[in-house]
Amino acid sequence: MQADPTKVVLPRTSKGKRPVFFDDPSVDQLMTFVIELTTEVAVLRERLDTVEQLLERDGQVTRASIEAFQPSAELESERNAWRDAYLKRVFRLHSTDQIEG
Amino acid sequence: MAAQMESIAVPNIEELFRPTHDERARQSLVSMLRKHAIIDLRAKVRSEYEDKVAPELSARGQTVKDWRDIESAMADDPVHRIYSSLRYNAQEMCYQSVQPAVERALPSMIDLARDLAARNPTGGSLQLDPSLPIPRYLNALDVHLAPGWVTAEHTHDDVAQGAVVAFGGKVFTGQHPYRKRPGVVAESIAYWIKKTRPGFNPRRILDLGTTTGKNLLPYKTAFPKAEAHGIDCGAPVLRYAHALAEHEGIAVHFSQQNAEHTNFVDGHFDLIVSSFFLHEIPGKATRAVLNECFRLLAPGGLMIHMELPDAASVTDYENFFWNWDTTNNNEPFYTSYRDQDPIALAAGAGFDRAKAFKLTIPDSASFGEERYAKFLAGEIQAPAHGSGGWFIHGAEK
Repeated sequence: MQADPTKVVLPRTSKGKRPVFFDDPSVDQLMTFVIELTTEVAVLRERLDTVEQLLERDGQVTRASIEAFQPSAELESERNAWRDAYLKRVFRLHSTDQIEG
Repeated sequence: MAAQMESIAVPNIEELFRPTHDERARQSLVSMLRKHAIIDLRAKVRSEYEDKVAPELSARGQTVKDWRDIESAMADDPVHRIYSSLRYNAQEMCYQSVQPAVERALPSMIDLARDLAARNPTGGSLQLDPSLPIPRYLNALDVHLAPGWVTAEHTHDDVAQGAVVAFGGKVFTGQHPYRKRPGVVAESIAYWIKKTRPGFNPRRILDLGTTTGKNLLPYKTAFPKAEAHGIDCGAPVLRYAHALAEHEGIAVHFSQQNAEHTNFVDGHFDLIVSSFFLHEIPGKATRAVLNECFRLLAPGGLMIHMELPDAASVTDYENFFWNWDTTNNNEPFYTSYRDQDPIALAAGAGFDRAKAFKLTIPDSASFGEERYAKFLAGEIQAPAHGSGGWFIHGAEK
């Protein structure tokens, strides 16, 4: 137990056997890389969108204004629609999906 | 006057959680990823089975005897593998995406929870028992792939797991059509009780395995005169639950106890509830908990557990779908729990079989009053569990 609460580092992996879904466990590992990378791209894209929103609104942007930015309900709804379409596009299945948008 | 109101308001422990811009973006994406797996891909896996795998089985003259035959047939299916992999990774990311912000907020969260536990400004209470043995079934694995789950303590007076479970849960349900708000299960059950038992007025309510108390608070709102109690084996979630309830202005008495054997006297409660709880504990513990419910209920009292539908209540395909969590979400008792008959379980604990029940009730917030009247009249059924309905079972004493 850590006596100083400012120094607590929470465990990032859970106890228990990790299932293997593919014939080669390397594919399971690669899936994690792909999913994490997909997430990073979405985060980067959202940051870029915030920068554009701030430039349109204020004509300037700072790191502090990015942190303070609160999307309106309308913008958040647009962003959710983008996230939904983005994931459907990136994780398109060979067998069943049509290419959309 | 406004300033005075401000100064006596009980601070919200959840407002101390302040993710960065990019952490919020990550959490939002993970919510959608989780939705993509559990809604969109779930539907594709079903089509894959019905349109491709099942016809192949029947062409080979193989019959499906139970859900395990479906599981074997789907084991090599690429759509099922992709679904499983995305679902597993999304689950892990729910908790991982909130942990850095919880770490930063932790010292101030602990200070606030400690202060509220000392003052009880709303009139609730927190009773911890550091000597309580934590049952192995609760910490041998990290349930739901939440590292540390509800019991791990990382520092003194720790609330971290309460925050991880609460905020990870928000990411988990963030894009779920019926779970966007916390507490919808308790709201739905309280609504059903009021509609079906208009004179029912519990003096005391007990929530078993309450974690952060989010499916306990709505009962106190629905029955404001009742004394509300929540128990759990995990101290960090109880500290968090208490701080949250005090902020919400809802007086709840939280105590660290094992639901198999509590320190309450016989007949102390009129309503005992749990949600998402019984399927996490082994059969022996389930029977002990139900025996304890029987002991703790006063005559005329009501026991209601929101649970996964039992195996006999759904199709082989749905059993295959539900039981995925057993080995893939660290919920080892999921399948064996669902294999039991809830009515027989209640009868085994001493309840009158004729007063035991299992049914799916509508999600009260989304169903609409007009349709609810038709549901009560037996004209229409509730949607399936998790898709606009909630499966419940229990008994009246």
